[in-house]
Amino acid sequence: MNTLTIWWDTAADGPTNMAADECLAAEAERRGSLLMRFYDWSTTTISLGGFQKIEDARRVGEIRGIPLVRRPSGGGAIVHGSDLTYAAAVPKSHPWGASPQVFYDALHGAMVEALAEHEIDARPYPAAGALPSGVDGAVGSDARSVPDESRFFCFDRRAAGDLVMAGPTEGSFSKIMGSAQRRLAGVVLQHGSLLLHGNTGVGGAARHLGVTDLLADKRPPESVGLSRAWGRRIATALGGSLHEQEASFLSAHHRDIAALALRFREDRWTARR
Amino acid sequence: MAADLKFAKTHEWVRSEANGVNTVGISSYAVEALTDLVFMQLPPVGKKVKAGESFGEIESVKAVSDLYAPISGEIVEVNTALPGKLETLGKDPYGEGWVVRIKADNPAELDNLLDRGAYESLVGSQPH
Repeated sequence: MNTLTIWWDTAADGPTNMAADECLAAEAERRGSLLMRFYDWSTTTISLGGFQKIEDARRVGEIRGIPLVRRPSGGGAIVHGSDLTYAAAVPKSHPWGASPQVFYDALHGAMVEALAEHEIDARPYPAAGALPSGVDGAVGSDARSVPDESRFFCFDRRAAGDLVMAGPTEGSFSKIMGSAQRRLAGVVLQHGSLLLHGNTGVGGAARHLGVTDLLADKRPPESVGLSRAWGRRIATALGGSLHEQEASFLSAHHRDIAALALRFREDRWTARR
Repeated sequence: MAADLKFAKTHEWVRSEANGVNTVGISSYAVEALTDLVFMQLPPVGKKVKAGESFGEIESVKAVSDLYAPISGEIVEVNTALPGKLETLGKDPYGEGWVVRIKADNPAELDNLLDRGAYESLVGSQPH
């Protein structure tokens, strides 16, 4: 119950990554403990939230021609390729599995500590006394005058517990990390993304400032080192032990993942809304 | 919470009506835990469901959750007003916030569900 097991995977396409995450959720339910997977994308890819409309994606000119995959989890669209992407799965019977905010805050709180190890000051939104209304520093977004769920990109939305950093202008803040969940009968799958830097594969409203862009004169974090530090902090918060896996999750479960990926490749799934 | 309700471990409630029809909704505990509901997708009337199978989805700011059929049968009525008035789920989860009505294939399946006391013990043992 108190262990955290982590895999680092090589790059894969969107359907393979989504299938691997479903497989991770099934494995977490079977083992009864928290599992995490860090992974890359074989090419810049847009992941759509489970409830987002395909027409909304097609209206965003900046992402035309970029591969699209629909996540089973909620939230807004993410441009992957310059982020630290993770999936975490925890049984609902686990103390972190009972409610969405508990799991969200546990992982994001540990990331605040991991970033602090790299002398990076991030904090959960809303940062008390630090977010004047209508000022958030996100590229291509304005004040919170539009309901957040109608904003297409995850990094234009704000929800309690999202991580923000001081933005490019005095008093502004930019979202650097967001996560969203799929709550199944016995297990919770949480997807999330820490934006390391703005993705040069996209422009305009699709590009958001990442950690590196917001650091004035500090060295940017290296993703594997940061994910390791994060894993240690999560294990400490759990009061348990950390198990780092040598083999990749993708290779250990390749048959199941290949079968599950078929669904994520179908238009019936991607264009289901 | 009315005493005549039964509950699934996945937090759906059931009230048996006349003629084998059962009203299904989402418990106040689940609604409160999800917080800030934004979208809901419900099944069409006539859809056949099996106990434990997903029949709809609900999205909050942070999570998409499946709604699971507590009993097998046919969906005979859907609260079509609900997706446009999600606040009803919080205000009146056991009344106006009902979700679907299912004509049970096998009413004996209701015996597999939790009574109010057992459900309150279940949610009482879960961390908030």
